Amino acid sequence: MLESPDRELASPAPPAPQGVLANLRRTLAPEFPQITADSALAFGIPALDAALGGGLATGALHEIAAAREAEIPAATGFALILAARNRGPLVWIAEDMALAENGAPYGAGLEDLGLAPERLIAVAAAKSRDVLWAMEEALASAAGGPGGPGAVLGEIRGGIDLTATRRLSLAAGRGRSLALLLRSTPATEPSAAATRFLVGAAPSRPLSGAIPMASGPGPPRFCVRLVRNRRGPLGAWMLEFDRVEQRFNAPADRESLAEAARDRPRQAASA
Amino acid sequence: MIGPNRKYPTWTGRGCPSGARAGEGLERFGEARTPHPALPRAPSPARGEGAERAATWSNISPAFLAISAKRGNVEELVAVSAAAERGGLRPGMALAQARAMHPDLAVFSEDRAADRRLLEGIAEWCQRYTPLVALDAPDGILLDIAGCAHLFGGEQSLLDDLTARIADFGFTLRAAIASTIGAAIAASRHSAAAIVAPGAERAFLAPLPLAALRLPGDLVAALTRVGLKRIDDLIDLPRAPLTARFGPQLLRQLDRALGREPEPLQPRAPVAPYLAEQRFAEPIAREEDVLRVIEKLAARLEPMLERRGEGARKIELVLFRTDGVVRRIAVATSRRMRDPAGIRALFRERLDGLADALDPGFGFDLARLCVLLAEPLAAEQIDLGASGHAAELDRLVDRLSARLGSRRVTRIVAQDAHLPELAAMRVPAQAAVAGDNGWAAFRALRCAADLAPRPPRLLVKPEPIEAIAAVPDGPPVRFRWRRALHEVVAAEGPERIECAWWTEDGGGTRDYFRVEDQSGCRFWLFRAGLYRAIPAPAWFLHGMFA
Repeated sequence: MLESPDRELASPAPPAPQGVLANLRRTLAPEFPQITADSALAFGIPALDAALGGGLATGALHEIAAAREAEIPAATGFALILAARNRGPLVWIAEDMALAENGAPYGAGLEDLGLAPERLIAVAAAKSRDVLWAMEEALASAAGGPGGPGAVLGEIRGGIDLTATRRLSLAAGRGRSLALLLRSTPATEPSAAATRFLVGAAPSRPLSGAIPMASGPGPPRFCVRLVRNRRGPLGAWMLEFDRVEQRFNAPADRESLAEAARDRPRQAASA
Repeated sequence: MIGPNRKYPTWTGRGCPSGARAGEGLERFGEARTPHPALPRAPSPARGEGAERAATWSNISPAFLAISAKRGNVEELVAVSAAAERGGLRPGMALAQARAMHPDLAVFSEDRAADRRLLEGIAEWCQRYTPLVALDAPDGILLDIAGCAHLFGGEQSLLDDLTARIADFGFTLRAAIASTIGAAIAASRHSAAAIVAPGAERAFLAPLPLAALRLPGDLVAALTRVGLKRIDDLIDLPRAPLTARFGPQLLRQLDRALGREPEPLQPRAPVAPYLAEQRFAEPIAREEDVLRVIEKLAARLEPMLERRGEGARKIELVLFRTDGVVRRIAVATSRRMRDPAGIRALFRERLDGLADALDPGFGFDLARLCVLLAEPLAAEQIDLGASGHAAELDRLVDRLSARLGSRRVTRIVAQDAHLPELAAMRVPAQAAVAGDNGWAAFRALRCAADLAPRPPRLLVKPEPIEAIAAVPDGPPVRFRWRRALHEVVAAEGPERIECAWWTEDGGGTRDYFRVEDQSGCRFWLFRAGLYRAIPAPAWFLHGMFA
């Protein structure tokens, strides 16, 4: 007979005194912000929202990594769509190298993703250290009062250590803005971010019945894998972005990807 | 007509007309007119290595030194050391003749650029006395000290202070003070007088030779031929015949020297509308001290700005190192500000972000805070309504700009251009106004012209790709970009964008296609030119879609 993992882990330990637990909760509170309905941005995909506990938490750091180098544009697009959903200006901080390799923000194209170009402040930094510094400043400004940035998007090409992500996480936790870390390669190192997404492009659905070569590409599709999640299960989803309605849809014409594992004792212990 | 007691702007506050005396000619000459910049590898004394320089000089003893340059077809001496002068050498002598007289003469060739840099360095340093400093090339510096002298305990003590400090750096100099530029220059170059009292210009200039009026050599020679040798000979002559015969320059220079005609000083740098400064008995070196001084100075500027209802947009900190080096650090702000704590915070970011750290050497003995650009700022009402909202973002922009540089923190502004790379421009966020920035017009155009989607990221420069199209003027079926092959499965286009054909180098036609490859990545490609063209048109990749 299968036992619930929680009970299996909990049963050998002696029951902890209430005071100790309460203390521990208080100490850890800034690092594990409570997600409430009003502090989360829902995707509108029930399965994904359920896995995230209601939606993408604001006031927290999220990592968005391209599944491979060539899919950085898809990851950028996904990050921008998320950033555009929070109110207020977006501060996009990128290394010079990333701008040279992947292109610079282009105002006329941002609107299709739901982001008015007036809302963008683009920052170019020479080194990744400057990117992290600028992100922390921007997050502190968001926490400082109304009118600060609603989302902070940092683009990093190299690795980033646990201390840095923890600092960003704490800075994000003090305010209500969305902190996004856009990475050009999937990372495996530990991170203090609340979630980590691997984003790739997926072939779009050709427009109704036309010859593929003659009809244009359809609405963009993202293959999104949630590979780290502090508060719930992992999973993979196919999302299609409807630029007219400015929302995500689950494409109807495709088999859904493997169902998210609800019960994952090993990952829960290691994540 | 403006008399000798004309009033000059002064250096505290704004245009405070308290000055009485103007014009100081400062000249250095002596050992060698341009002593060491021409010396190979000799450190510049303006950088405070006077001792080293002296060592260099003494190593080449006996001090028979000269600097030579080619004048016409002859290599001539242009400057000689004091010892060489005693030995009978003179500037203007042919080098061959000098060598024959003194075979052990050490000769260096003239380096005008280095001389100029040295003079600029000294002029920069002279800003500690007054913000109005001008060059009198090749070897003079003019200071307008109207209203400044009392800060140093009078003209004589200012002159003594300046002479002693410059002599400490290892220069020989002659300095003089007079009410007009012409008289000051005459006093320093052609007379032993140090201070010409106001109103005494005429008596002072009368016995001097005509060359003291800064006249060209051939004019002086022509005047000498007719028996006019001293300024005295000229002053009372009828003016019309003089002008008819020798041109208007002669009397203009005379009038300027006598103060009958105004001669403005042309300062090297524009004078800041607001400035405050602090001198230290003991030099300061630590960054915290510098920041504390900035806050103190900013607190002194605040009431001045408030009184005129202005706020600073650009602030410069000038630090004078004890050894003569002057360091300037500027910050710009997107908000007009006058709050001392805010100004201090901006400078902290700026100092942290300096590529070359603030090197205090033996310390700074003078700090000056100037507001270079001020704009009207209404009195602030604190924390009411929405005005505080934009301020939070402005503060962030200022902090980021101070540390990273204002060109790195940008907003995107729509331009009235069809070429994609010109249609949107990144401008410094401090300069751009938050709000519309031209996007409303772009949206209207987009609706009217039904423009195809644009990518969110655009490559800085279109990258060439190898593409194969199935039909002429059609989209490519496959292309290679950055060594990876992409099979096109869906394409949309062309969207033809004509370049600026009405200009000479406007470029050709571009046909843009939006394509998707087999893995779902989307690109924005264009063909530069038409297929009719020869050679075959090139393909470029310009941007990536999400």
